[in-house]
Amino acid sequence: MIEARRITKFFSVVNAHQIAAGVTAVLSASLTIEDGQFISLVGASGCGKSTFLEILAGLQAPTDGEVYIDGKLVLEPLPSTRREMDAYREKYRFLSPIANGLIRDNPKHDIAMIFQDYAVFPWMTVQQNVLFTLELRGVPRAERAPLAQRYLQQVGLLGSEDKYPSQLSGGMRQRLALARALSVEPKIILMDEPFAAVDAITREKLQDDLLRLWQDTGRTIVMVTHDLDEALYLSDAIVVFSPLPGTIRNRLPVEVPRPRRRDSAELAELRARIQAIYHYDMHGESEYVG
Amino acid sequence: MRAVNTSPPAGHQVSRASSPHEYHARGWNLVWREVAAFTTGAFGSLVTREFLTIAVPLLLLWELLPRLGVVPKTLVPPLTTVAASAWDLVQHGHLAQHIVASLKRLAIGLSLALLLAFPLGVLMGWNPYLRKHLLPLFQLLAPIPPPAWVPITIIVLGVGWRMQTFLIFLGAFYPILFNTYQGVKDTDPRYLASARVFGASEWTLIRAVYIPHALGSVVMGIKIGIAMALVMLVIAEMYGTQIGVGRLLSESKEYFRIERMVVCMAILGALGWFLIEIMKYLEAKLALWRVGR
Repeated sequence: MIEARRITKFFSVVNAHQIAAGVTAVLSASLTIEDGQFISLVGASGCGKSTFLEILAGLQAPTDGEVYIDGKLVLEPLPSTRREMDAYREKYRFLSPIANGLIRDNPKHDIAMIFQDYAVFPWMTVQQNVLFTLELRGVPRAERAPLAQRYLQQVGLLGSEDKYPSQLSGGMRQRLALARALSVEPKIILMDEPFAAVDAITREKLQDDLLRLWQDTGRTIVMVTHDLDEALYLSDAIVVFSPLPGTIRNRLPVEVPRPRRRDSAELAELRARIQAIYHYDMHGESEYVG
Repeated sequence: MRAVNTSPPAGHQVSRASSPHEYHARGWNLVWREVAAFTTGAFGSLVTREFLTIAVPLLLLWELLPRLGVVPKTLVPPLTTVAASAWDLVQHGHLAQHIVASLKRLAIGLSLALLLAFPLGVLMGWNPYLRKHLLPLFQLLAPIPPPAWVPITIIVLGVGWRMQTFLIFLGAFYPILFNTYQGVKDTDPRYLASARVFGASEWTLIRAVYIPHALGSVVMGIKIGIAMALVMLVIAEMYGTQIGVGRLLSESKEYFRIERMVVCMAILGALGWFLIEIMKYLEAKLALWRVGR
């Protein structure tokens, strides 16, 4: 279970006139995600949903609030006073707070993440990429190769094991990122706009693959997307973010039985509701009646 | 870059290596194939038609201008005179010994620089805490031109191999250090994040993310280091030795044998060119993922 309690993230930035200005990327967002759920976070671009996901993954410390994964704190929030800040800097002066320790590979939580631009390592072949994550999870050397084969087969990448990511198409790179995430058998998979960069046909196929994998394995999936149809088709519930400062505007359960049809009337109705919420947030007026 | 272009099998070699059914060179076969690939890569760029249209006329001018009396023959020895002098040096002047002595000094100095600068650069690029302690020191010391170290080095280390090694080391140290540091520091944070999510420790990050990512700039640093080491070789061999290409050069100056000076210059140039070709080859081998793009 993932529990995010009143997450706030504030960035200080310097604007073009060299004046310090602040941006509140996420404001007091609370969210509980039960095990085995498929949750989508939707919202306009730049509304803080990716930041929120990175905070869930423990890649950024929140300014305020805590994230618990299975009751375990992910990252302590950044200090708020000068004195606390000095103590925090002193504590983490050698290793950054997001580091996993010096020598031993040791994931803090049982999660995997798929990044928007894949972030597979370009200096490793497809197979080496998967072997690397297996190694990080402490899989014995002899078992790694067959396992890697299995996960590559699962996403349909057999035959390209010895290619470098730069030789793959966008869709194949995405599959590699997926194989890498699956290979560690995580309880939770976080995805940051995973299908944004692939063409429409490949995207639908990848979505179906993902759905099948999720149904077979019963993992928790949290996906950030700005594609409403994707979110409606895949998820159990849709969390709508409103633009800056990013707050959770609404959480809409998608109670349409699976398998769903992409063009079903219920999904279209939900879609209209979410769009009405968007519209209200943008223009401050309501079109939604009913 | 020719080394890159002439080895299109680079991408295929990998897929070959892991597939048990196909031919996979081993032992001497492999060595032979690599040497052949290197030679065609390195010398290939010299015998292209494009370059020969520049090189042949230049060599002809070198030969003809002094012979026709356009430039004084005593000051600019024609190509054939220089070649004859080189042959003479090989036969009677122990040229091979001079070259070997210089190569030894270069090798020791360069390896010392690499052994020290590479880990230091990685550490400084990886950790801000170490960087804050160490970087200012090197940034203060680096601008001192290496030749300015010569007098104090002679006083402290005496004239001899220690002084020469140290000077060569000094020339190569800073370029390798700063390029390694910069390459490691500029590692794309997305790759670090993705490795960290999967549980990579800092040591694993250094080994599997920082260093592969920085490889290109490390090799670049070594190339600049080689050039600087050659500069320092010539300077270092002016003192306290009887053997070495740099020594031969300053000796020729004293006897005013211009054709010998030209031979020495050509040898130093060829040395640098050859070492840099080796680095290019290594770069193409190590950064295979870049080549395959």
